[in-house]
Amino acid sequence: MMPAAARAPTERAKTGIAILDQRLQGGFPRGCTLLLFSDKPTEKRIFGENFAVQGARSGERSLYVDFFRAPQLARGELKRFGPVDASKLIIVDATSSQLLLPSPEKYHIDDISNLDTIREAIIAAMRAEKPERIVIDSMEFLMDRFPKEDVLRLWRELIEAAHATGAIICFLFINWTLAEQDLVQIRSMVEFVVEFQSSLRGGIVRNSMRLSQMGADGVKTNWIPYAFKDLIGLTVYFPRILVTGPFNAGKSTIVRALSEKSVSIDRMGTTVAFDYGNVNVTGIEAEIFGTPGQERFEFIFKIFAREVSGVLLVIDATRPEELPRAKQMLDLVGPRIPYVVLANKSDLPGALAAMDIHRRMDLPEDVPVIATVATEDRGVRDALLILAEMIIGVR
Amino acid sequence: MLVDASARFQSLLAELRRLPGILGAEIARRDGILIAHSVPKTMDPKKIAAMSAAIVGTSEMAATEMGLGSFNQSIVDTDVGMMMATGAGEEAILVTMIRNEANMGLIHLGVDKAVQAIAGILQAEEVVA
Repeated sequence: MMPAAARAPTERAKTGIAILDQRLQGGFPRGCTLLLFSDKPTEKRIFGENFAVQGARSGERSLYVDFFRAPQLARGELKRFGPVDASKLIIVDATSSQLLLPSPEKYHIDDISNLDTIREAIIAAMRAEKPERIVIDSMEFLMDRFPKEDVLRLWRELIEAAHATGAIICFLFINWTLAEQDLVQIRSMVEFVVEFQSSLRGGIVRNSMRLSQMGADGVKTNWIPYAFKDLIGLTVYFPRILVTGPFNAGKSTIVRALSEKSVSIDRMGTTVAFDYGNVNVTGIEAEIFGTPGQERFEFIFKIFAREVSGVLLVIDATRPEELPRAKQMLDLVGPRIPYVVLANKSDLPGALAAMDIHRRMDLPEDVPVIATVATEDRGVRDALLILAEMIIGVR
Repeated sequence: MLVDASARFQSLLAELRRLPGILGAEIARRDGILIAHSVPKTMDPKKIAAMSAAIVGTSEMAATEMGLGSFNQSIVDTDVGMMMATGAGEEAILVTMIRNEANMGLIHLGVDKAVQAIAGILQAEEVVA
């Protein structure tokens, strides 16, 4: 599917979400097609906007075809991402003509009731500006108004036109009406599908997305929770990472080492309630909760052990007798939650090697044990990144 | 629906803050996650959410341990004022920070009303979109 115009693979199109780019070996390959899909209204537009803005920021040109918003409104909303060179972000205006207003944009669709006019306007803008990224917001607008077969034909023509220039084209699509067989056909036209999901539980909105590459051995992720940060864009967001482990293993020190700002509720160095920190590393934001280690504070543990994204299990590598207690603490969190074991104090004499701990705790093969020295901030960040990758899912 | 609940929480908090002597108020989940807040910039709402959950959780445990019945409210009394963490339904708590000069009768009335409203909203909105 890669056209001749594609660039070197080192020049992939970054999404700006570091951990996703890493999984995609630097970003989306040039000349590919993306489908931002959901079957209910969700925040997929923000991914499309993020993708366009990231392009404009890295010196590429992005073409944004907006069927829903007036261009003034669209440009206003894009300001949430912070300063972006407006000349790199080209909007194809499809709303002004509907309102019988003159368009403030260079490119506009003059007759929204005619699919040929729509196609010509978009393709003319593509040919003239040669954008590296194209976002079509959205296909359900067309599906609602025109016969299915005609829209699918236009869809294919847009992909072809984009591929001819080596651009990445990104379609937003909510499926209201199509049957599964039509969806299969749509999926077969694209290389990547990003699905979106929003849920509301206990008064808090959680957004997540899942990326899958078509084909048997393509990249696939788990549901990735994300949040929008003003002036930055999309970041991966873990609402709760639990730092737990036996008494005096160094949990509080690890929370402190990871976070920019943290609080610890302790008496004479022993955590009696919890530690809390907010972490921001390489495109990941996470709330870190450290629990007390002693059994008598287990009720505190239970307050925070809900909706856990992942666990950093901290053990004192010099005290093998604590290992059974560590395993027991994992059981408190519940099954199927990704965890990483941190063999802390690994610089002290008599510290067990990571391999030994893995064997002694009888851990599943895919659970990593990482040697850390929390007091010197060694290995701690790596452990968090490995955990993040496990939550997001490898393949 | 998603936007609706959070807008209603915001207006609830705004109403509470109009009472004289209230420094700030926020709604948190009992597991320490922030739902909505209206606090001055000098306070970190996420930290307050986590701490209040720990205070409420500990208080609840203490009440049970002492055979004192079910939990309603925890109060932290200081030389400046007080912090009240009030249970709002099964899932949430309402945290109110109050100056000493405040009219406690009014505050209690306001908090009670807000707590009932929060519990009602949370019960109605268990949906997955």
